Amino acid sequence: MWGEWMVYINGIKCIKCGACVGVCPTQALTLTEKGIVFDKTKCINCGACIQICPANAISKE
Amino acid sequence: MNYSSEYDIIVVGAGPGGSMAAKTAAENGSKVLLIERKKEIGAPVRCGEGIGLESLKGIDIEIPEKSYSFQIGGAKLVSPDIQNDIVVKTDQTKGYVLDRKVFDKDLAIQAGRAGAEIMVKSQVIELLKNENKIIGIKVETDDGIKEINSKIVIAMDGAESTIARMAGLNTTSDLYNSDTGYEYEMVNVSCDDLIEIYFSKEYAPRGYLWIFPKSKDVANVGVGVGGKEAPYAKEYLDKWINGPMKERFKNAQPVAIKGGLIPVGASREQLVADGFMVAGTAAHQVDPIHGGGIALAMKAGVLAGKIAAQAIKDNDYSKERLMEFQTKWNETEEKKLKKRLKLRKALEMLNDEDLNVVISSLDDEDIEKLLEGNFPPVVTKVLSKRPQLLKAIGGLIK
Repeated sequence: MWGEWMVYINGIKCIKCGACVGVCPTQALTLTEKGIVFDKTKCINCGACIQICPANAISKE
Repeated sequence: MNYSSEYDIIVVGAGPGGSMAAKTAAENGSKVLLIERKKEIGAPVRCGEGIGLESLKGIDIEIPEKSYSFQIGGAKLVSPDIQNDIVVKTDQTKGYVLDRKVFDKDLAIQAGRAGAEIMVKSQVIELLKNENKIIGIKVETDDGIKEINSKIVIAMDGAESTIARMAGLNTTSDLYNSDTGYEYEMVNVSCDDLIEIYFSKEYAPRGYLWIFPKSKDVANVGVGVGGKEAPYAKEYLDKWINGPMKERFKNAQPVAIKGGLIPVGASREQLVADGFMVAGTAAHQVDPIHGGGIALAMKAGVLAGKIAAQAIKDNDYSKERLMEFQTKWNETEEKKLKKRLKLRKALEMLNDEDLNVVISSLDDEDIEKLLEGNFPPVVTKVLSKRPQLLKAIGGLIK
């Protein structure tokens, strides 16, 4: 793990649009039929997904 | 379903661009596989669904009546104080608000009719490589994980593209050049046959708000804001609907929520590799002014499909051969997009007071000129009303 925090995706707020996938520099996020899948081993805690999410569904955990 | 273990061309993503690429390549004699992650092509919808007549020129395709919800007679541009507007009724602004669920699926059907094989509910999880050459895909389907070989993979997997990154190309959207959109499809919104664009620094920083009618009383109501503009798109839209637009939306009820990422910076520089091409929104081929990507993706799909099919005939799928796609794109569409990007950058410099003056002093012919890329006469007119904008928009004359 890189930093102290990890992103948390609120499945209820998430509209499965994939915006976070497009900005993630390390491909830690994938959009699947079931929703966004987060791979914490790839996450570098840059926060891009939090900033881009149009539904405010991603936060620091 | 039975699929081969080898195709000439694999197209990843069955949006309008991917289907056009698959259709074109199949029509030109290639054995094509079109792969879609979702279980139903076209659903869920993630955009405003608007498409202009002008942008469709040069694409050999009919839009059947069932594929659009409403025919649009023009655009109405509204000033931040909602006191002034400009109505523009030209080919640049006439068009359709599509029914993407029907439209996208119909294009995939046309690709299937042309001979392309199609896989749905199938996610590409890896690209097969031989040294640096892309030689196929690994795909997860309901029947398990399969490896399928190809001579060329065309990635048209949209804004959240991962395929091009698997190929080693950089397609990560940088935050500043990514608009983020949020939209409600709403009933009880009275509409004319005009798409409505609202400029506002307060409610849509570095973007705009829109009402795209889907019928006389149903519309896509949304906002696109520049990346890094806090807090987030939904909050801007809710504030606008419940604030200055309260009266218009007093009986409005949402029937759908849509949203997504709109890469608006400029096309990716690297579009090809050995046995590989990336096109459409995945390559950031999106109009920087209105954020539209449907028509551009279709154009890119046709071009990529044609060049890929010819490369198959020539038995040469090297990066150098496929480079024709990149060169042709840059010579034609990208040139226009670069110009519009310049206009966007200038628009971003204006505050709400500037925009109020600009919109009250321009007419439909001026907007037509701007959309055609003929900036000088309009800039001169604006500067005569608001000379202090010289620094912000003077560069458009050069």
